[in-house]
Amino acid sequence: MKKNVLQKVLVLTMTGAMLAGTLSGCGNGGSDDSSSSSSDTQTATEDNSTDDTAADSSADSTDTAADNADAEADAPAADAAAGIDGWEAFGDNVTLKVAVYDRGVEGVPTVDDNYWTKWVQENFGDKYNITVQYVPITRTDVMTDYALLAAADDLPTILMEYDYPKVAQWANDGYLATYSLDDFAQVAPTYYQRMVDNDQLSYTELAGETYFALALRPYYNTTYTYQNFVRLDWLKQVGYNEVPKTYDEMVDALTKIMEAGLCEHPGSPIVANKMVAVGADTQNYPFRTYPLNEEEWAVYGDYNIVPMNWEPAKKYLQASNDLYNKGITNPEYYITDDETWKADFINGKAFNYSNYISANMDFLTSFYENNPDAELAVVPADAEYGGSYGYRTDNPFGMIIGFSSQATEDQLKAAWMYMEWMTQEENLFTMQWGVEGENYNTENGLPVSVADYEGDCKQGFNNNKDYWCVTIESRNAGTIEEIIAATTPTGLPQDFTQDVIDFYNKRLEISTTDYACTDAIYAVTLDSASEYSGTLASLWTEYYDTLTMCKPEEFDAKYEELSQKYLDAGFQAIIDERTEAYNAGNTTKMK
Amino acid sequence: MAKSKTSVPAVRTKTTWKNALKRDWQLYLLILVPLVLVFVFSYAAYPGLRMVFMNYKPAKGYAGSEWVGLDIFRKIFKDADFLRALRNSLVFNFLDLIIGTPVPILLALLLNELRYPKFKKLSQTILYLPHFLSWAIIGSVAYQLFKPSSGLINVLIMNMGNEPVPFLTEKWHWAVTYLLIGVWQTMGWGTIMYLAGITSISGELYEAAMIDGAGRWKRMWHITLPGIKPTIITLLIINLGRVMNSNYERLAVFGNSQVKDFQYQLAIYIYEKGLGNSQFSMATAVGLFQSVIGVILVLLADRFAKSIGEEGLI
Repeated sequence: MKKNVLQKVLVLTMTGAMLAGTLSGCGNGGSDDSSSSSSDTQTATEDNSTDDTAADSSADSTDTAADNADAEADAPAADAAAGIDGWEAFGDNVTLKVAVYDRGVEGVPTVDDNYWTKWVQENFGDKYNITVQYVPITRTDVMTDYALLAAADDLPTILMEYDYPKVAQWANDGYLATYSLDDFAQVAPTYYQRMVDNDQLSYTELAGETYFALALRPYYNTTYTYQNFVRLDWLKQVGYNEVPKTYDEMVDALTKIMEAGLCEHPGSPIVANKMVAVGADTQNYPFRTYPLNEEEWAVYGDYNIVPMNWEPAKKYLQASNDLYNKGITNPEYYITDDETWKADFINGKAFNYSNYISANMDFLTSFYENNPDAELAVVPADAEYGGSYGYRTDNPFGMIIGFSSQATEDQLKAAWMYMEWMTQEENLFTMQWGVEGENYNTENGLPVSVADYEGDCKQGFNNNKDYWCVTIESRNAGTIEEIIAATTPTGLPQDFTQDVIDFYNKRLEISTTDYACTDAIYAVTLDSASEYSGTLASLWTEYYDTLTMCKPEEFDAKYEELSQKYLDAGFQAIIDERTEAYNAGNTTKMK
Repeated sequence: MAKSKTSVPAVRTKTTWKNALKRDWQLYLLILVPLVLVFVFSYAAYPGLRMVFMNYKPAKGYAGSEWVGLDIFRKIFKDADFLRALRNSLVFNFLDLIIGTPVPILLALLLNELRYPKFKKLSQTILYLPHFLSWAIIGSVAYQLFKPSSGLINVLIMNMGNEPVPFLTEKWHWAVTYLLIGVWQTMGWGTIMYLAGITSISGELYEAAMIDGAGRWKRMWHITLPGIKPTIITLLIINLGRVMNSNYERLAVFGNSQVKDFQYQLAIYIYEKGLGNSQFSMATAVGLFQSVIGVILVLLADRFAKSIGEEGLI
């Protein structure tokens, strides 16, 4: 009998343990997956002015890098004890942990231990008795990684992200320390002065406390580095000698292209041609009526959470529905990922493909190999497919940097020293370009990166970007024309340099008007936004496809029904909270 | 003890804790190792479960997070998405169970009847293979085959002059495809237990039956199947415990916006709403709920199995 009881207890224990195993699995289950549809917002704002130089084989510059950052620096640095000259080595060794993205990219050195991390240690750490450690953060799962580090009391001293809502959530969740800008200016005057000169100080605060420091994002307001390439040869065959700039003309051209048998479902540069990635397809900017009402702009004009109930979003959906029902959009677009769309473009089965430009663009190279007689053009900046040429500028800052609430005073100081040190012209130049004769050569007094360099001092992803992003977002040297020339693909049958320069100039012109929209940033944390953003993002991908693929006559009724559901699922709560924040003066102002 | 042993050797001694331990201490020592592992990795984490009564924030830890009582559960049970996910999980897992249980049994019976050993081995290996493919691969291959207008199968269907079938892009078709692919992936591996069960059936039974003139069908029906009945019931009970769980990978790879109505199951709910929004308390609460229901189902099934005279699990 007793034995029987013992046996029962044992078996029960085991079963319980087994189920508990499943349970504990649930705790972090799925955290290693990144579902295909959530290629998420982070990629959206990331890299906008920068992935460009990913593999440059040539670069012109009249001057060394980042001079715009440093020209302003000299004055405050002269201030007696402030800045690098006033630094002394720490008495006791200080450990400084810095977050660095682990992008899972092949062919780059280990992110937390390579030539360049050692270089930083030797040239910065050793000098001031600081041990610099890099903490890898999985690029596709940033929030979970930080949450785990926070739970383990092991947050890096320097935390960074590109998206404001994420860092706001960190502040709200207690990850971040508040700090004094005066102390910061004392330790890192160059960095501080640059924030002042670029009007970034208003972004350092959340709910009246100073939490963040902002890296620089040069040319943020033109977003010229993202270009949409279209088949000009097809357009010419149907009677258009340049890229049509209005919706009706574009639809007419695409319809003729289909009728001429050039392409079955060409797609269009007007709406998404692929699965709508969460947050990455909220391009209602051209569909807005300008000038915007500031309150509407603050409440609805956000990139991260789609304002489905807003009129411009409805117009965008209508356009998408129209293009789908006309057969222009690929009927399989909602199960087509970006790679497939790219392959279709290369194989001459799609009208357009868009991406960041760089000196070496593999999809264009392959495209011309497959279609030697084809001719491409870029969509001009003043195309008005949504009724206007309104567009979204990038954030007026690069990385948003926060400091761990678990850091000691010394660690905080070391972090600021690190940022200031990285901002110094000579250090930044070396981090960005590498070692002369190895990573780059000097031609006519200008640095030119060695393409496909494989050696001991091989740089990390995108020319070490994930290290120097702590101070600046791109490797800019020289005038804008020279930068564009250096980041436009070379060695192709066509040269797009002038097109991109035209695009840039046009955008620069627009950027001073109401048509250039920067999203509102809130100086308070919006609980509703962090609570519902995931749900709404997932609903949006579902509703977007339903409304795109329904019959035109069903559209209005379906839109009414689904947008109401969207409101109920949390968007109404967000509208209310944002309106309240706006009325309390807790948002940035529309420019 | 020694006394009782020597003086009344004929009477069976009552096993006490002490002498059981003394006699079999090696065995208890052996079981100790896995037990400790289980305790460390499963039970030691239990105190963490208190986060379901908190609004848990990792940086604030357990001490700093706010206690909210049953608020998390109240919120979950009021959430329409949760109810949808729960419904889908239950329906699809029961279907998985209903379709997935008989197939490996049939397959095991068939395999068992194969005479030529090399062919048998080959068939087994081929059947096991899908088990080793990750869902990511199965998913992308499935899309290549079943896409509505460019998938291989649909291209064939269209070439024969028929309308394409939206295998993965319309929810009812999707449900069938999803379930059948699930069966295809697991059936080969599932036969292993049954084949092992069949091996343990005494060959004499078959000989006796053959002498009595029983044919192949009769032998299968009256000897093989009853022989593996305990195995079937044990596996069924174990699988019942998993009825609330769903495989995130499997759902994620087959997901698309047109089938969300069915594809939205608890694993997706936990990932999107819980972890995706950094709502760890919520994710844990749903996980706990799943496990509790799982335990209850297992206990009920076990009770039921015993009531119909079968040997249960516990």
